[in-house]
Amino acid sequence: MKIKISIIALALTGMWACQPELNEFTPSKGNADFTTYMSAGNSLTAGYSDGALYKSGQQNSYAAILAKQLESVGRTGEFKIPYIETEDGVGFRGAAMFTKLKMGYSVDCKGVASLSPVFANTEATQQELGGFIGTPVSGGPFNNVGVPGAKVTHLLAPHYGDPAGLQTGTANPYFVRFASSTTTSVLDDALAVNPTFFSLWIGNNDVLGYATSGGVGDVITPVEGNPGFGFEASYGYIVQLLKTKASAGVVANIPDITSIPFFTTVPYNAIVLTDQAQVEALNAAYDAHYNGAAEQLGLPKIIWSLGQNPMVIADASNPLTMRQITSDELVLLTIPQDSLKCGGWGTQKPVPNQFVLTATEKEYVSNAVIAYNGIISSVAEANDLAFVDANAYMKEASTTGIKVDGVTFSNAFVRGNLFSTDGVHLTPQGNALVANLFIDAINAEYSASIPKVNVNEYNAVLLP
Amino acid sequence: MTKSLIFSLLFAVAGMSVFAGGYQVRLQGNKSTGMGLTGTALNLGSSSIFYNPGALSLMKNKTDFSIGASGILSRITFEKSGSQYQAETDNPMSTPLYVYGAGKISDKWTVGLGVYTPFGSSTQWDNNWAGKFLIQNISLKAIYVQPTVAYKINDKLGVGAGFVYAHGTVKLAKGLNYGAGTGVELEGTSSNMGFNVGVFYTPTEKLSLGVDYRSKILAEVKGGDATFTIPQSVQNTIPAQNKFDATLPMPGNLDFGVSYQASEKMLVSFEVNWVMWSAYDTLKFEFEEKGEILNSSNPRKYKDTFIPRLGFEYKLNDMITLRAGGYYDQSPTDDDYFNPETVSLNTLAFTLGMSINPTEKLSIDLSYLQLTGQKTEKTYSPEEFGGTYKSAAYIPGIGVSYHF
Repeated sequence: MKIKISIIALALTGMWACQPELNEFTPSKGNADFTTYMSAGNSLTAGYSDGALYKSGQQNSYAAILAKQLESVGRTGEFKIPYIETEDGVGFRGAAMFTKLKMGYSVDCKGVASLSPVFANTEATQQELGGFIGTPVSGGPFNNVGVPGAKVTHLLAPHYGDPAGLQTGTANPYFVRFASSTTTSVLDDALAVNPTFFSLWIGNNDVLGYATSGGVGDVITPVEGNPGFGFEASYGYIVQLLKTKASAGVVANIPDITSIPFFTTVPYNAIVLTDQAQVEALNAAYDAHYNGAAEQLGLPKIIWSLGQNPMVIADASNPLTMRQITSDELVLLTIPQDSLKCGGWGTQKPVPNQFVLTATEKEYVSNAVIAYNGIISSVAEANDLAFVDANAYMKEASTTGIKVDGVTFSNAFVRGNLFSTDGVHLTPQGNALVANLFIDAINAEYSASIPKVNVNEYNAVLLP
Repeated sequence: MTKSLIFSLLFAVAGMSVFAGGYQVRLQGNKSTGMGLTGTALNLGSSSIFYNPGALSLMKNKTDFSIGASGILSRITFEKSGSQYQAETDNPMSTPLYVYGAGKISDKWTVGLGVYTPFGSSTQWDNNWAGKFLIQNISLKAIYVQPTVAYKINDKLGVGAGFVYAHGTVKLAKGLNYGAGTGVELEGTSSNMGFNVGVFYTPTEKLSLGVDYRSKILAEVKGGDATFTIPQSVQNTIPAQNKFDATLPMPGNLDFGVSYQASEKMLVSFEVNWVMWSAYDTLKFEFEEKGEILNSSNPRKYKDTFIPRLGFEYKLNDMITLRAGGYYDQSPTDDDYFNPETVSLNTLAFTLGMSINPTEKLSIDLSYLQLTGQKTEKTYSPEEFGGTYKSAAYIPGIGVSYHF
């Protein structure tokens, strides 16, 4: 009987170990050579997130995720990333440096605490932050040459990593960190990797700098002009040079700004009036000082009512220098909420232009995006490159939402899972999603089978 | 910014993972288990309380007791579409059991009582697996109590009926997209009723026919506990503790069986089970608080299935009886609505069994059932989660019957 029991026990153990086996996916490099992968681009490529560059953000960039997935199709060696040695990160607002954002509670001018992005570390001094970003990184050439803030034209610019150019704005502190010399350009450093395969996602900042400053702080890169000045020639030249080293690559186009929460979170009619006396006071004031002149000039009058009202914004092109915002104009995420709530912005004082993208400015931006994307797709086609239609994907996310493995991705601020707390850059989960988009495009173009990444291994925005 | 962090909660349902037939288990008698889980047209003593109460009226002995249990060892492997990502379940062994007793109170009337567990298994995925927002783990247990009466119309024909009281417990967990360790746990119980009726007919000494109908039972969970492990800031929108209602149908079964004594030693049994899975169309969850955010209606779109079964019994000698059988169980799931809470694949099964009779009155019944879930690519389209599944289960069982 004892023997019998042990036989049964053995049999049971054997059966228990009998896990069904699956082997449905065979990685294949197809027609491409992934031995050495190099990623060029801007903040999205660098892994900039939550308004700053920080180490785990860099580790979770779509480029770093893609590099990991390429290991099974022949990528060898370390995918070198110029890490910044801080988790708090360094971001710029003008010349001032700040840490990354995180979700936290902030108390507004009315004493109401609410959940919103706050700086991860308010104690960090300019000196400390300057130390993080000012420390040169050795060990290059780096495989990830994503440079936050870089435009198409910047990739070709010599001395873009020259500390002497920081004051005059001809250099970029994020490139100064890891540039191989003071004279080099981003593209030269990219080529020094000797890539067999590259990714290029560039062009966002060529309109974004203009758009995120409400059309006042930057200019849109012109389409026409020589390499280093115009978008078309610069983009074509960059790809041409990359193709001298790499036989294959992938490029991505630029999302519309209307797909990005930075531009879609604060509604145009964010002025909520709940007090009839205030409504009457505002109407009396506008009747006395604005509406008469508006009527004479044939411009719309400003009339206030209970509930939601469009903001009053500054507009230099308007004869009265101010007007109500229209429903197709955009208010930027960075508009100071306290000024809206307690400072009379949008009611007693016009909202400054830098926080608004007017219909005209929006049209400039959208025309530029259309032109750039036309160039990107035709360059991709002419060079037999894989092409990621990030524009279409982000548009789908922002209109219908995209469901993946039980997560809905949209352009909703924070809760849309795709965008981080700065409203422009991606969450780790969003980066994983984008890495899969790149994989789809590469697989399709080069008949390859690169395994996709499990998006749910990565987090969206974390909440307190 | 908007403080309301609305998220869609698509809740999972309780599931028997390894059985093609959704979450139904038919391990209600070790003799039947050995014969391809047939039983509708078999006169097996008190286990007819489950398989066909009609057969109880023609029970060969005056009194019959039967008790037994099985151990379900199940394994599932998943590979995500377009990737090398794999996940395996770590299911604990579950042990469905049964106890039956029946006795003749007159020439015509037989009464009996059965307690059995037609549902009882659990599926445990890793808490951080790719499908964690659909299901992390689920455990479903149901115990049925069935008082039964059977009436012998004549020596060839009998009918029987049982009242079923079903008590169920369900516990499940799924992740939420707020980072590691966040999620929701649902736990509830149900008490509902149904019935089991059957007709048993032996036109000749060698031939038996049986028809049995077990009614659908809606397992209704009312006021189950919902515990949300979520960040503090989200608790302004979603209460950490909540109550929920949900209903899971236990489908009706209509079984037709025929058995034939091919020789003195050999008995052959064939049957078809019509399982009315189409009752399981949608799984709804309703919450006491914040229902406007949390309530969900989740398509399942199950289809009716027909399961053909074949079993053999060979009486080696007075001490030993051998059994074997098999069946093919189609998955009732829809290709586009396949949720990893119930990994129900088309399944091939074969069975072995043996009875040892140390005395004429006592029988020790051993059984072994092996299930091979056929590899299939499936998607749960409402959540865009898909991949290839493969399953296997190994189910040894032992029972004792005694009659006098």
